[in-house]
Amino acid sequence: MHSARGVEAEGDTPGGEPAAIRTRGLCKHYGETIALEDLDLSIAPGEVYGYLGPNGAGKTTTIRLLLGLHRASSGEARLFGLDSWREGASARRRVAYVAGEPSLWPALTAAETFEFMARVHGTTDVAYRDQLVERFRLEDAKKIRALSKGNRQKVQLIAALATRADLLILDEPTSGLDPLMEVAFRESVQEASARGQTVFLSSHILSEVEALCDRVGILREGRLVDQGTLAELRHLSARTVEVTFDGPPPELPKLEGVSAVQAGENSLRLELAGTIGPLLGFLAQHPVLALTSSEPSLEEIFLHHYDGLDVARGS
Amino acid sequence: MSPAAARAIAGRVLRDGRTRTGSFALLFGLVAYANAAGYASAYPTLKARLGFARSFADNAVFRLFYGVPRDLLTVGGYSAWRIVGFFSIIAAVWGLTASVAALRGEEDAGRTELVLAGPIGRGPAFATTLLAVLAGGCAIWLAMFAGLLASSLPAGESAFAALATLSPAITFLGVGALAAQLAASRRVAVELASALLALALLLRILADTASGLGWLRWLTPLGWTEEMRAFTGARPVVLLLPLAAAGALLALAAGPARRRDIGSGLLRAPDSRRPRLRGLASPLALALREERVSLAIWLSAIAVYGAIVGALSTSLNSTDIPTALQRELHKLGAASITTPAGALGFYFLFFTLAACLFTCGQVAAARREEAEGRLETLLAQPFGRLRWLAGRLVITCGGTAAVALTAGITTWAGAAAAGAGVPLWRMLEAALNCLPVALMFGALGFLAFACAPRAAGGLAYGLVSVAFVWELFGSLLGAPHWIVQATPFQHVALVPAQPFRLAAAAVMIAVALAGGLLALGAFERRDLAGQ
Repeated sequence: MHSARGVEAEGDTPGGEPAAIRTRGLCKHYGETIALEDLDLSIAPGEVYGYLGPNGAGKTTTIRLLLGLHRASSGEARLFGLDSWREGASARRRVAYVAGEPSLWPALTAAETFEFMARVHGTTDVAYRDQLVERFRLEDAKKIRALSKGNRQKVQLIAALATRADLLILDEPTSGLDPLMEVAFRESVQEASARGQTVFLSSHILSEVEALCDRVGILREGRLVDQGTLAELRHLSARTVEVTFDGPPPELPKLEGVSAVQAGENSLRLELAGTIGPLLGFLAQHPVLALTSSEPSLEEIFLHHYDGLDVARGS
Repeated sequence: MSPAAARAIAGRVLRDGRTRTGSFALLFGLVAYANAAGYASAYPTLKARLGFARSFADNAVFRLFYGVPRDLLTVGGYSAWRIVGFFSIIAAVWGLTASVAALRGEEDAGRTELVLAGPIGRGPAFATTLLAVLAGGCAIWLAMFAGLLASSLPAGESAFAALATLSPAITFLGVGALAAQLAASRRVAVELASALLALALLLRILADTASGLGWLRWLTPLGWTEEMRAFTGARPVVLLLPLAAAGALLALAAGPARRRDIGSGLLRAPDSRRPRLRGLASPLALALREERVSLAIWLSAIAVYGAIVGALSTSLNSTDIPTALQRELHKLGAASITTPAGALGFYFLFFTLAACLFTCGQVAAARREEAEGRLETLLAQPFGRLRWLAGRLVITCGGTAAVALTAGITTWAGAAAAGAGVPLWRMLEAALNCLPVALMFGALGFLAFACAPRAAGGLAYGLVSVAFVWELFGSLLGAPHWIVQATPFQHVALVPAQPFRLAAAAVMIAVALAGGLLALGAFERRDLAGQ
């Protein structure tokens, strides 16, 4: 995992720089559909923030509001202290964006696209861009219309990374990339992070988020249901404990934090939230052969939040 | 291919084309009815019709748009001349756009690949698609037939006249199908097929206006329609020509449709090239770079027709003007169509229409940028949305001015070559005179784009079409004055025949400005809308 620089950004640091992303009570309704409800986010400069959720949870809606492409029904979103709707163009001067679906000009070549995007954005590190073209193995003389989806995705990524913008907003940036390019992508995000750039990574690829992000927010049906560093999320979530006994397992009394007990022939499997002390106290009186305790993976935390929810529901 | 699959494909094609087919059917039906009924009421007696016929029969500019009149003394003969000739061009436009959309448009969007991934042969899929397009054509035929019938023309001849009008649609359906195999994108396919239509029209114009070139009529699908002579001694056997041409074109297209790689075209532009860095400096520059081919096509088409109209402006002689004709011309607003200036003033109305349609094209282009997601890519950059829309408005104004100016200059050049003696400044005034109404329709189109983005193109084109059809037929139908006056085209002076109407132009400019500002205001507030 990436070094945990995950300072919880509760607000603008006193006397320092305003938060890279800050939303307060952000809501977006499309007619009857509630796409986003009461979102409060605060992401400090330099943070790599993973924004998790299944399709239709409201990830892209959040990003569209942050970029001023759609207008909030209520609440506000600020990028580096600037209102993303009213002062959108100034706010976006410090932002680079990669869309989930690459929409570019089919008649331009990749190199022409880079030139155009650089002119529109205003700042571009040309040497770094050339390096990225190498790294992602992109044939930049090709026209966009002749490129596959994955390659068009690379064009967007390279254009965004080459701006060296203070804030990278990435919406499922690796959809369409092969595993080799996925490695190149992670390397590039780590480079950006090492330079102090902020990264907002919307994704549903949990391994990617686990590998890159300091802090994670989990979105469900337009609401932020959990947020914190991976360590915090793990601490709050139940860990799985398996105990093997010399003989049949004893009857477990009611203990705080223990749930979902399954008894095997001579074993117990249970979920434990909170401290392990009371459980150990009880087990000490029984012939325990072995005990394993495993921390939940991000996948388990994620699935935990979606337990019993029909995640296939679109927005 | 199973019958269920065929039904599904055909149903999809019909549904996708229903707006286009529906609006064309409505247009054909209404115009067929209004025109025939209008003639019958405006020229009720044989004497009135004789006067009309004597003055109009030999006017070359009328021939340019409508073809050769065979018999202007009957309602049928008049309809054959006024509707069949002109609407055969519109039918061809429908045929080529419908088949290109159903074939190349679907392929561009990646849906053809999806369909062909199923247990469906490529030949049958191609044939089913075209049959469904053809079914749409039948709906338009039916509408026109009903329109003629409603104006009390005989059933058999009306059916044939509608068939003759729609026959170029069949040929150009084949042209579109072939262009869809040649070009690798919908846009290029439409441009290729349109170029062929422009050639077909040019041949018909030469055949109808230049003496001794009448045989050229047999070389163009639009000429075939004339040779079918609906209402004036019908020759159904000529129908074999468009059928044979369509058959040959479809046979040519069927081979590549079965064999070529999906997503590619036979005319392949190279996929790679050295970067061309001109026109990348700003979104405005890029929009100009993207639109330059279409702008060049517009300007050259306008230039060719401007020169022809100018050259033909001296063709109407002014021996005697019957009272019925004077009444007719008065209704249309022309002071003296028999002078070159009068003829030019009257025909400049069509260039005004062209300028209006150009602005609609710009609205549609702006919407395409948004629908296909490129606007989102752009506005995620530090680039304000007002600046973007203002840029599109500037391009629209500039392009419209270029269209009008080209029409003015080339018409003057043509007229000067024919010795018409209309000064250049008068034709520049005519060009200027086009602008207020065109910019007004453009601004209203952009207002639609800002308020109802998904319907913007349809609303823009629809508004101009309704207003123009109103202008052409409202007065003939003897509608009350205030209804006739409701179309903006009524308030466009026929420069150079009439003086420029400053007040009307000022009102239209004011509406254009207000529309443009409202569009900017509404666009600033709305969410971007995908497809």
